[in-house]
Formats: sequence, structure tokens, C-alpha cells
Amino acid sequence: MSEKAPKRRLLVAAIVLIAILAIGVGYYLWVYAPAAAAAAKIKAGYIYVGPIGDYGWTHAHDQGRKIVDEKYDWLDTVYVESVSEADCPRIIDKLITEENCDVVFTTSFGFMDATIEAGEKYPDKIFFHCSGYKRGANVGTYFAEFYQLYYLNGLMAGALTKTNKVGYVAAHPIPEVIRHINAFAIGVKEVNPDAKVYVVWIHAWYDPTKAREAAEALIADGCDVLAFTEDSPTVIEVCEEYYAKGQPIYAFSHYSPMYSYGPNVTVSGQLVHWEVVYDDILTKIHDGTYTSQNLENVDYWWMLHEGAVELGCDFGMPINPKFEDALKAVTVTDTKTGHGTMSVYDLVMLRLEQMKAQPAHVAKVENGQLVWELGPIEFDPFTGPLYDQDGNLRVADGVRLGHDDLWTMDWFVDNVVGSPTG
Amino acid sequence: MEKKEAPPKWMEVLVPLVSVASALLIAGFFLALQGIPPLELYSKMLAGSFASYHGISYTIVKTIPLLLCGAGLVLAFKANIWNIGAEGQLLMGAVAATWVALYAMPSAPSYLVIPAMFAFGFIAGALWGLVPGYLKSKLAVNEIITTLMMNYIAIKLVEYLIYGPWRGEEEWGFPITDKFPEAAWLPRIPGTSVHIPTLILALLSAALVYLLLYKTKVGYEARVYGSNPEAARYAGISSEKVILLVMAISGGLAGLAGVGEVAGIHRRLRYPWSISCGYGFAAIIVAFLARLNPLAAIISAIFLGGLFVGGDAVQMAFGLPVGVVNMFNGLMLLCLVSGEFALKYRVRVK
Repeated sequence: MSEKAPKRRLLVAAIVLIAILAIGVGYYLWVYAPAAAAAAKIKAGYIYVGPIGDYGWTHAHDQGRKIVDEKYDWLDTVYVESVSEADCPRIIDKLITEENCDVVFTTSFGFMDATIEAGEKYPDKIFFHCSGYKRGANVGTYFAEFYQLYYLNGLMAGALTKTNKVGYVAAHPIPEVIRHINAFAIGVKEVNPDAKVYVVWIHAWYDPTKAREAAEALIADGCDVLAFTEDSPTVIEVCEEYYAKGQPIYAFSHYSPMYSYGPNVTVSGQLVHWEVVYDDILTKIHDGTYTSQNLENVDYWWMLHEGAVELGCDFGMPINPKFEDALKAVTVTDTKTGHGTMSVYDLVMLRLEQMKAQPAHVAKVENGQLVWELGPIEFDPFTGPLYDQDGNLRVADGVRLGHDDLWTMDWFVDNVVGSPTG
Repeated sequence: MEKKEAPPKWMEVLVPLVSVASALLIAGFFLALQGIPPLELYSKMLAGSFASYHGISYTIVKTIPLLLCGAGLVLAFKANIWNIGAEGQLLMGAVAATWVALYAMPSAPSYLVIPAMFAFGFIAGALWGLVPGYLKSKLAVNEIITTLMMNYIAIKLVEYLIYGPWRGEEEWGFPITDKFPEAAWLPRIPGTSVHIPTLILALLSAALVYLLLYKTKVGYEARVYGSNPEAARYAGISSEKVILLVMAISGGLAGLAGVGEVAGIHRRLRYPWSISCGYGFAAIIVAFLARLNPLAAIISAIFLGGLFVGGDAVQMAFGLPVGVVNMFNGLMLLCLVSGEFALKYRVRVK
């Protein structure tokens, strides 16, 4: 084989490639360049980790984006979906330099480093990172929290289980998921001290196949009520299939309204209103409250009181009417806030009102530092006494867990079966 | 069907170009069905990857791992050894670099820790490649299966480390390691994410694989083994030596790519699919698009890097899912393989 040929071949290939490039670039400049014009409005870019059709996390963020986009004339939005963590810096660059965004929302934990670095790179732009804990002068953080809802779901699960085995299909063993499982188990225990919560990790946020396997394994193990953290309605569908076969298994929907996937089996669930958070952030940017200089201590951790989350498996339906009678038939004594004996249905409604009435946690700035303090709420699920799986008293009687404890939670309460490390 | 004589030289350049063009045509047909003007979309893609400073810099960022893995795969495929495990070898390089940066020498100065990361990254990738290499040379175990499976072991190992023993002390329980000390951050071209040492290594790797293949005895042996193992045996070439050497270098180069990704981009170990968005697999296309010419792999790596980067321009401008890029990659590989076939065989009806 000749040794000179590769060089000539390379040269030819390079020339052809450059020619193709030049044609493409020329065409692009000719068609698109004149369209670049400045706008006086606010333009917000959203970076999503999943597809907007995931029926979970990303779908919910996109719903929130659409609602605020339609509400305000001064707002334009653009989004990029299915962005991997490695690609986030590039997408931020694009949104800022090519789409001329003033604000960028990065909606996955894995985008944290990229968001902080972008904040330093573009000091006059505003960034908000969802679910992280690092901030900067122009980088704020926000999160809509579900633990109150999981607790309320737990109350209902404790009342409905006949086998005293409640299953939980869990995504990743990280503090957020551990906190939600614990809140759920605390609710189960309040109504049914004999019941246990069995956890199966699937190590994925979105994986219908693994979710199905996990749900079926839990059912085979005797669980008759299931909750889950996974961005598809798979677990609900599995339960509906078992219901059709004459074996009723009940479930709680997650993140999006999943009632329609299992009207016979879906009891309640967790719903999010990201638009409430986005509305607040964008309005405050628009009226000048938030600037690229003062976000160092801006952190949203919004729950029922702020309206960022809603109890139910469909908007406006906190409890599937089909289950009202069953929940009214079980009575329980409120030992935590002393409102006497009532049905589980009434207890859910009481707790819902208690948690809506006051904020659970309040952000304060002390000596230039953000500090989360306990809010003046009448009831919070994470109130001692709480024991871990080894029987150690982790939270003393009457003591409440605060933001930092909950955000770093790496242990399960005593009625959870499974390992918190996955 | 029979084998043709050696195809003319100009065909060797033509086949990749025609393959890319056919892939563009076929993809364009489907895009047009969806009501999307293909020419406009392609020009936007090109513009996204090559028309701006940002675009070019990110294309180079993607080119680095694609070229390192691709150069290694050229060597392997040239010797007819089917290393499908570059993805796992890359991850093992990332693991080794993390170990060096966070645990072995956390307070060492840059001039020690950076070479150490690359050295251990290469060794880790090489070892990961040597396992299937050893199985193939001693027990004749099919390397396609073993290299592919080794990927999943590497993925699980990374997951185990970030959920378990290496989970960061300062990261609020999230499954990522702590950040590397600053001494272990690879220097970047200012204002971009282009990590300079790895870029240099990537270009060197292409040149070295070229020299190895065409200017050394082992390279000659590898090529002979690749074109005809029986002939190689008669010529007294040790298949064992060829297989082990090729797998070690091929795996080691992928390991270097892993070092670059964690020390140059992320500066920590994280989810496997965040460290590598399939570079090890895309590098297979890099190698074939270059028609197993290590120097041409530089161009094909840039082309594929650009394709990765151009993909999101498509998303933003046309609201298309990122799957379009995967579809295009798949079509291109299909066209390449068919082109290769047409080049080497002719069908004769008797």
C-alpha cells in the first residue's frame, strides 16, 4: 500500500468538508442574520433534563413555563429538553448568546456546577437552579417540596392496607427521595403502627420497565398499596391491571395527574404547581426586586402553604371519591395536635388545613447568610419522637427537623424496610 | 458474490462522503415528511457547530474524547479485533483519575497530579481492555461480547462509587464525588471548556497510532493479523502479543479520554451517562468514517463532534427531539457499512 495516498486523500476530504461548511454558513448568515434584533421584554430560557413528554418532572416544569408565558405579555420563553449534564454549559451559552435570554432556569440537580460557572461567566444575567444548594450574586435556587403530601398519602395508605405491607418504588437513594419515603412512612405509622413500608430502588428517574418489575415484585411480596418516585404512570397501570384481574392494589400518583391511568386504584397523590414559583421569580425580576447582584440568599423551598404543591391524583381532586367511604370507616386519634378521635378522611383534611395555614420553613438572612428557620406551623410530619431502623432515637420528643437535616437525610425511620443507601 | 480487486484510491475518499450524503438524503426525506425543510435544518446544524466561536469550541470539546477513543478503535479494528468497550474503558480512566485526584495525591501540585491522572487513567483503561484481550488470546472468547459486557460492569462500578464510598462529603448527600482540588483541574483555553492537555494528547494519539501501524514491526504484525490471522500464524506472528498490545493501547487511549472528561470538564466523578454521552460508541462511527485511517479520524471526530453540537440547534430552532441526531448517526453507520460492502464485493448473477 502506498504511504503517500492517505495525505492526499486527507487533503481532498478536508477541502470537500470546508466547502460544505462554507455553503452551510453562508446560507445561514444570508437567511438568519438580519432577524437578530433586540427586545425590551424579559426572555427566559428553560433547560430540561428529560423529554417534556415524560409525564413527570420535566413535563411539570414545562407546564409551569407555559402558564407564566401565556400570563405575561412582557415574557418570552424558550426551552431545551433532554439535556445531559455534560451538555448543560453549552446549552446555557447558546441560550445567552444566541437566544439572548435574560434569565435561565436549569431544572436538574446535575446542572448545579454548570449553573454556578455560567453565573460567573455572565455576571449581568440571572440564573435560577432547581434543587441545588449553591448560589451566587446572580444565581438563586428553588424547589417545590412534596414531603407534606407524601405524609398525607401515608395516612391514607396506612388506612387502606389489609396486609400491613405498603410498597414503595423508589428512584435514586438521595436525600430528597429518602425524605419523601420517611414522610410517607411517618404517615403510615400514625394511622397503622403495625404496617411497614417496603422500599425497592430502581436507580432511575424514568424507567417504566424497572418500575413495572419493582411494582410486581412488591405485590408478589404481599404489598397491597404502592407509592412511588418515578416519572411515568407505570406503577398505576400495573395496579389497574391487578384490579382488573380481581386483586385490588391501590396506588398514589406521582408528580403529574395520573388519575386517568387508574381510576379504580389511584387514591391520591402529589401534584406540583411550578408556575407559582416561576410566576413569583419572574415577576420579581420584572419589577426589579431581583437583580443580577442580589440573589446570593434567594432560595425557594415552597410547599402547601405557598401553593407550590397540591394533594391529589388530579387537579382539584385531593382524594379519589371512590375511596372516601373506606377512609371514613377507619378511625384514629390525633395524638400529635390533640384534636380528638376522627376518621382518617377527616384527619387528612385536618392536616391539610394545618399545613396550608402556615409556612413550615422560613428563609431568613442573618449576618449576610441565608438561614432556614422553622415556620410557625401547627403540625409538621418530621416532629419527634422519630426512631431509625436500628431503634435509635434520632429526633427527640417534640423536636422538629429543620431544612439542613431534611436536605441531608440519609437514614430511614423505623417502619421502613430496605436500605437507605440503595 | 465475490471479492473485488483492491478498490481505486479515490473510492476510499468517496465512500465516506457518499455515505454521509446518503444519510443526509434519507434523513432529509423523513424530515420533509414531517414538514421540516431539510436544507434549512442542516444549515442550522452546521452553523450551530462551526459558525460561532462557542460552537467551534464545543465541537472541539466533543472531538477530544471521540478522537482518543476513535484512534484506539482504528488500531483495534485494523487488527480485526472488535473492541466495543471504549465506553467502559473511558469510564475506568475517569475512575482512576478521580482516585488520583481525591484519594492518592489530594495535595500534590499540578505538575505531579496531572501526569499521574493521565498515567493511571491510561493504565486503568488498558487493564479494562486487557481482560477481554486475555480471554480472547488464551481461550478464544469472542471479544465483541466481552468488551460490550465490560461496559456495563464499568457503569455499575462508577454508580457504586458515587452512591457508596466516594459520595461527596460536601455535596448534601447527592451521588457525586467532592470536587477535585484545583491542582487537578486541567487547564482550559480561557472562556471555553476546551481542556488543553487532552486536546494535545488526542491529536498525538492519532499520529502515534498512524506511526505504530505503518512504521513499526508490531504495527505491521497487527495489520497482517487483521487481514489474515492464518497467514499471520504461518509468518510466525504471535496472535497473543498482537491482541494484548492492541487491546491495551486501545483501552488506554479511551482511558485518557475519561481522564479528560472528569479532570477537564466536570472536575468530579458523577453519573456515568453524564461523564460520557456515548463517546465510546460514537467512536466506532469515527473509526469507520475514517475508513480506519488514524489521521482521517481527526476529521471524522470533528465531524461527529459537530453533529453532537449541532443537534441542539435543531432542537431549539425546530422543536425536534434530540433523537434526530441519533437517527442520523444510525443512518450514517448503516450507509457506511453498505458502502464498504459495495466497495469490496460485487454481486454477479449466474
